[in-house]
Order: sequence, then structure tokens, then C-alpha cells
Amino acid sequence: MKTAILIAIIVLTDAAGDVFLTRGMKQVGEISTINPRAFFGIGGKVITNKNFLSGIFFFTITFVSFLIVLSWADLSLVFPAKSLVYILSTLGAKFVLGETVTSQRWVGISLVCLGVALTSLP
Amino acid sequence: MTSAARGTSLKKTILVLIPAIFAQAAGNVFLSTRMKEIGGSSWFPLLPRVVESPTLWLGIFLLIISFVLFASALSWADLSFVVPAVSAEVVLNVVFANYFLREVVSLTRWTGVLFISIGVVLVLRSERQKARREGGEILRSGD
Repeated sequence: MKTAILIAIIVLTDAAGDVFLTRGMKQVGEISTINPRAFFGIGGKVITNKNFLSGIFFFTITFVSFLIVLSWADLSLVFPAKSLVYILSTLGAKFVLGETVTSQRWVGISLVCLGVALTSLP
Repeated sequence: MTSAARGTSLKKTILVLIPAIFAQAAGNVFLSTRMKEIGGSSWFPLLPRVVESPTLWLGIFLLIISFVLFASALSWADLSFVVPAVSAEVVLNVVFANYFLREVVSLTRWTGVLFISIGVVLVLRSERQKARREGGEILRSGD
């Protein structure tokens, strides 16, 4: 039960991190420079963006929960369960960010999710 | 946006994500092999040895590069495209382990690699179709 709750936290915060990160980056605007000075200027805008920082905050929770759960749980359970984040991030992309997710894309993402789960097994 | 512009933007996304995938795969390999060499069950007494290890810093550096590229791609591309596309890193990791480290990879893991590969191809196709459709809509509306 404890493991299930932590896995749920890991998957939820990871997906939330993806959604906030995307929102922050879209607010900053399309990066279309490879000039290092301009790039660092954009970097300043990025790390002061509230959505970006919320994303980093959620990723930090993911990372810490992951370390905690690894201290007792079975790796061959935690790693495959973690791949559910592909589905959850896509749901976030669709319902929170308003992206169009075609059925072909859903099939592709489901295969990726299943594939990542399988590769994380011994 | 015109279809030409969307097409360029897909090319740009792929151009940014390929180094992101390679940097992440290499970063993970450096990080995990070095951490296993250092080993041990408790984390904190290891910290000084971790800080001294250049391989580990190289791993972390590569993972940071990978994250910067990933975040940059998200400034214009769909999250529902970028996230599955980056999963190609797992394929690289398995192939890398098998080819360079001569690790035996189980049938289960090869099946996983196959699924991911098909999945990434489908996601890529869906993005190309979307670009074409959006371009078409704009043309039809007389823009």
C-alpha cells in the first residue's frame, strides 16, 4: 500500500512537472537562436518563469519519492509502474494544455509505455 | 502557420531531440556504471567519493544538456510528441548495453525495444500528418 501511494505520487508529480514545464516554455516563446549570449538571456527568462519553476518543483518531488521508494520496494515493480507517466503526461497535454492527440498518436504512446515497462523488467 | 513552417518546425524539433536522446543515454550510462563501481548501500558516506569522480560529473553534465534541449523543444513542440519521442533513449541504452558492454539482453527487453520503436514511428507519423493537416486548413481558409 505504501509502495502504491508512492508510485502514484511519482507518476502524478512527473506528469505535472511535464505539463508545467511545457506551459512555462510556451510562455517564454519559441527558442530560435543558437547565439550563446541570446540563449543565456532566454535562460534568465526561463528560470524566473513561475510555471517553469513549478515544473522543477514537481520533478524534485518525483526524484525524492523515487529515492525513497527504491529504499524498500522491488525494482521490477517500481520501474515498469513508472512508465505510466507516458499515459498521464499525454492526458495532461490533452486536457490541460489543449493539444490534439490523434488516435494514431495514442496507439504510439501506449506502445511506448508498454515497451518502456518491458525493458525495465530483467 | 503555413505547412512549410510546420514542416521546418518538425525538422527543428527532431534536430534538437536527437542530441537530447544521445546525451541522455550517454549520461545515464556514465552515471549508473560509475555509481555501481562506487557501490555500497548507504548514500551519505559515499558523497565525497561521488563529488571526486569526473565520470560522474560528465554524466550529470550530459543529463543537464539533455534537459536543456528537452525544455527548448517544448518551447515550440507538443508535449504529447516530445515525451514519447525522447523514449528512444531506452532503445539506445539497451542496444548500447548489448553491443558495447556485451551484456546479455533478455527476450522481454528486446520485445520492449520493438514496442518502443514502433510507438515512436507512429508518434512521428502522427506529428507529420498533423503538420500537413494544419497547413491544409490554413490554405483552405485562404491565408
